[in-house]
Amino acid sequence: MYRIATGKQIAIQILIPMAMALSGLASSVHAADAVDADAANALAKRNDCFKCHAIDKTKKGPSYKKIAAKYKGKPEGEDKAIKNMTTGPKVKLEDGTEEEHKVIDTKDPNELKNLAQWILSR
Amino acid sequence: MKKSILALSLAVLGLSSANAADPAKINWAKVPTVKVALFYPGQSTFEWLRSEDHKGASREVKRGDACVSCHDEQDAEKDIGNKIVKGGRLEPMPIPGKSGYKELRVQAAYDAANAYLRFQWHTDNPFPGTEHQYLRFDGKEWKVWGYPKLDKPVHEGRQPAIYEDRMSVMIDDGKVGGFDKQGCWLTCHDGQRDSRNQFTKEEVAANALLTAIKKGDVRKYLPDTRTDPSDWKTGKSVEEIAKLKAAGYFVDLIQWRAHRSYPVGMADDGYVLEWRLGDAGKEMFGGNADSKTHEPKFMWDEKKVGYKSITALHLRKGDHFLINGQNAVPFDPSAGWKEGDMIPDYVLNRQAAQGSAADNGAIASWKDGVWTVVIIRPLSLTNDDDKSLKEGGVYNVGFAVHDDNITTRGHQVSFNKTLGLGVKKSTKVDLNAVKLP
Repeated sequence: MYRIATGKQIAIQILIPMAMALSGLASSVHAADAVDADAANALAKRNDCFKCHAIDKTKKGPSYKKIAAKYKGKPEGEDKAIKNMTTGPKVKLEDGTEEEHKVIDTKDPNELKNLAQWILSR
Repeated sequence: MKKSILALSLAVLGLSSANAADPAKINWAKVPTVKVALFYPGQSTFEWLRSEDHKGASREVKRGDACVSCHDEQDAEKDIGNKIVKGGRLEPMPIPGKSGYKELRVQAAYDAANAYLRFQWHTDNPFPGTEHQYLRFDGKEWKVWGYPKLDKPVHEGRQPAIYEDRMSVMIDDGKVGGFDKQGCWLTCHDGQRDSRNQFTKEEVAANALLTAIKKGDVRKYLPDTRTDPSDWKTGKSVEEIAKLKAAGYFVDLIQWRAHRSYPVGMADDGYVLEWRLGDAGKEMFGGNADSKTHEPKFMWDEKKVGYKSITALHLRKGDHFLINGQNAVPFDPSAGWKEGDMIPDYVLNRQAAQGSAADNGAIASWKDGVWTVVIIRPLSLTNDDDKSLKEGGVYNVGFAVHDDNITTRGHQVSFNKTLGLGVKKSTKVDLNAVKLP
């Protein structure tokens, strides 16, 4: 048996999911806002990071999406990324060989944190 | 002048054939345009790319990886070129005002007779570089006047920068290993003119290969022509190199020249193997200086053009081409020459151009700072110094522009690109020539 929905019921059926969706959107917008993407991009470009890494393509090094997936939900991701960028450890390349990671040209913790968060949010 | 050049080109190229389009009448609006990034490479030679100075990439280059396996990020060419052109480890003598980057607009079409490659780019100079060096009378003798910008006499202010604009195309048909990955950089080496560790005359004179092929300097070469590809001095024997050529191990090099080929509706035809060589036959230009007296061999026909020579005051005012059969007559040494009189150092002759060296036609115009050049390359050439273009074929190509009175490294170049001639959509190429109706 079919029941005809009242105007109030329709409003509830539409507005509640919409509100939920907007709330989710707001939360993701808030997360993206925390990272200054332009600054991260500029820092990465200045340091030739994109010669070895791409957003979603394997180059000499892993893609940023792959790195982000690896550290998803793991709090140590940010520290690990910053350590790679600042101390130049030996890293395993995509072709199986090892090489010292390039050391980035800034020591500003805010810049480093921003870049690490940008990479991990890909 | 431009109209007469066009008329000449169509006639001499035999483009009235039923099979060939008139390149001036092709509807280019219907042919897709591909924007190719060109950048200033400075002295980034084959050897530099394999050195530790090419940070983080020498191993990859030696392994044969493609340049774009690293340099594929957004604005890669723009970033590299703008950085190198300013000077530093790859550019010891920065040129004021030189562009680090250029956008080359490329269109490709073909019919039953020819391939048509159309190029457009903004020149660095606000005028077309249609002039080339002159012979100038100093009151006693005739001497070369005007040099490319990277040459010492220009840098020291003793000579003006005068050199023709050029549009160059390198073509590989897959027989030169590595060209598909590293393109023109296979041909650019330490030791060459204006390169790192430039040759000395003594070194060249003592070199067996260069002596055997009668060359007085070092120019582009392909790696397999040397026992050590990174050392120009280690040339293989002429016989070994002939075998490489017979196996197709060479790249075609077509150069459209704004002074030495444009006025007669042509582009020159050469190839790179153990040196940058001209195709067999006779090209459309030749030196105008007598080898013994250094006097000009030809001067302008005063009856036709109103003068027999020009002076520096006439530079960039009009077209100063000296063309046999059109406006040139034999030089008269007793014509009352005065200090400062100038005659082109090269004389053109379309009718004398013969053989494989005379394969390529071209039409061009310069307007509002933009050169538009259409190179016409016959299909299915069978010469042993040509890459034969055929319908359905895919070729590796490299492009370069010289356009501010400069030569050698003073160009903007492309990474390797692929050109198809009417290939199916499933074949991935950077440029797919469209078949003309």
